[in-house]
Amino acid sequence: MSNILEIRNLVVSFASDGLKDRAVAVNGVDIDIPAGKTVSLVGESGCGKSVTSLSVMGLLADNGRVDSGEAIFGGKDLLKLPDKQLREIRGNRISMIFQEPMTSLNPVLTVGRQVDEALRLHSGLDKAAARKRTIEIFEKVGIPEPERRYGCYPHQLSGGLRQRVMIGMAMVLQPDLLIADEPTTALDVSIEAQILRLMRDLQKDSGMSILMITHNLGVVAEICDWVYVMYAGEVVEKADVFTLFRACAHPYTRGLMASLPRMTPKGQRLYNIMGTVPNLRAMPVGCRFSPRCEFATERCRSEKPPLTDLGDRHLCRCFDPRMGGDAT
Amino acid sequence: MVKHIAKRILVTIPVLLGIVLLIFFMLQVVPGDPVTVMMKEHLKEDVVEGLRQSMHLDDPFFVRYYHYILDMLHGDLGTSWKLSRPVTGLIAGAFPYTLRLAVAAALFSWIMGIPVGIISAVKKNSLIDHLSMGVSLFGVSMPVFWVALILQNTFKNVLPVSGVKSWTGYILPTIVLGWSSAGRIARLTRSNLLEVLRNDYIRTARSKGLSPLKVITRHALKNALIPVITVMAIQISSLLSGAVITESVFAIPGVGSLAVSAINNRDMPLLQGTVIFTALLIIAGNLVADILYSVIDPRIRVD
Repeated sequence: MSNILEIRNLVVSFASDGLKDRAVAVNGVDIDIPAGKTVSLVGESGCGKSVTSLSVMGLLADNGRVDSGEAIFGGKDLLKLPDKQLREIRGNRISMIFQEPMTSLNPVLTVGRQVDEALRLHSGLDKAAARKRTIEIFEKVGIPEPERRYGCYPHQLSGGLRQRVMIGMAMVLQPDLLIADEPTTALDVSIEAQILRLMRDLQKDSGMSILMITHNLGVVAEICDWVYVMYAGEVVEKADVFTLFRACAHPYTRGLMASLPRMTPKGQRLYNIMGTVPNLRAMPVGCRFSPRCEFATERCRSEKPPLTDLGDRHLCRCFDPRMGGDAT
Repeated sequence: MVKHIAKRILVTIPVLLGIVLLIFFMLQVVPGDPVTVMMKEHLKEDVVEGLRQSMHLDDPFFVRYYHYILDMLHGDLGTSWKLSRPVTGLIAGAFPYTLRLAVAAALFSWIMGIPVGIISAVKKNSLIDHLSMGVSLFGVSMPVFWVALILQNTFKNVLPVSGVKSWTGYILPTIVLGWSSAGRIARLTRSNLLEVLRNDYIRTARSKGLSPLKVITRHALKNALIPVITVMAIQISSLLSGAVITESVFAIPGVGSLAVSAINNRDMPLLQGTVIFTALLIIAGNLVADILYSVIDPRIRVD
């Protein structure tokens, strides 16, 4: 199967005021996104999952910089593409939806205009045609009364509707790849289910790929085909979704799984991974998870484990994977 | 919307009455007897007394306040003691000069301030940013009379430094008056734009593939300029009223000069008139700012 996007050895660092050395937020990440599939990037806040997607889109903040690596999309390396050519792909072939539908829409422009702006930019449709197409896409993403909503400002819509507008904006040009950065985190659970179902339906229609960035394993189970687990700027495990939930191998992934709230007897504590994410400027020498890993050995602390194939394209960055029996 | 505006206008009525009361009271407690001022010292007692009565100076405070308000509502702000002409007419004669100067200064400050602010924000921390912010800060900080004197001295051979016989007479006063406003607008535009550019919706706009220029003109500017526009509306009213020093230094016969001469002559009705007129302008400016705000920002719009 062909990949729509291949990220190879991506390294991204950030400068901060008053400090000489740059903080490396993403350290040698490889990700493949197969055509028509949904790939998920899972990890806790600050593990580099959003930075990975933003650097592919060329949307890093001013103090961020891609130090090395490539992102091959349609035969071109997005990371080396001149800005003008990258802009032609952005919003057109690859589009993006963000976490906060409250703040991701411009408060002083009508939502209709914000959607048909991208449409007119990339397709050259005239105003009336763009409006017609926008209303169609509103209807498709399940916005009731699309004609009236076209002229609404973001503050006049609910959170769920705003996220539908964002999805409509991202989908209106039928992209090959949709990057969704925590699209349901700010929404309540019933709306979350609706939005995920909508994304799955749209994918079935258009055949696009989705890169789903999330920290919610429930979302992963719901719609993903492949899962990359990231920790402290590195991929620590990659597996198809069934393998991951059945037999995840990395102690970090196992910790995440064990942390899911379930029907535990009243009064029993929920599981948590002890410790905190290491400082980007003071990474452990060996395995980056070793300070928090209950199985860590001397070797883990001094030597960095490679990403090894456990068979069936299940990759794991651990010297001693699948320890301690069943994760759940 | 109409209801909202009507409400705002109604609210200004008690404000105006209060301002008139305050001004009226303050000028009562100022020492000095207008009759002796007018007639100097060579006057007979009974003549002075008669004059006092004919000018209603002996009436109780609130009676005079009541009459003053009544007259004001008929467009009569009294008669100048010094010039023996209606105050309303004097202000009407002086206002065009003030208006021309204020409009010129406002336009100058917008045309300079907004683009400079935008360029500074876009080229943050560059030489041009530091330079223009320095010039802005200078304009905001320097006393108007000092800037006026320096400019007069520098350009005395090129431009008229006194009077407004032709439009060239307005050039220096416009710069003097507009510089600090321009500086304030430039700094405000810059800081607002920088703040707006950090918002999530700017990233959304970029993710659509818009060019950096379009991201700024279509998405950032409207948000950044909302507070600037309200400041501009308030500013034009303060330019209309705050030109006292500039008008005096450049000998422009506007409302400010009128007020200064009224002070020098202890000409109470004229002084009252100019101050009340000024207050009226400021109230109007705030009203316009208020209405503009709700027109531009859809979140404030009252449906």
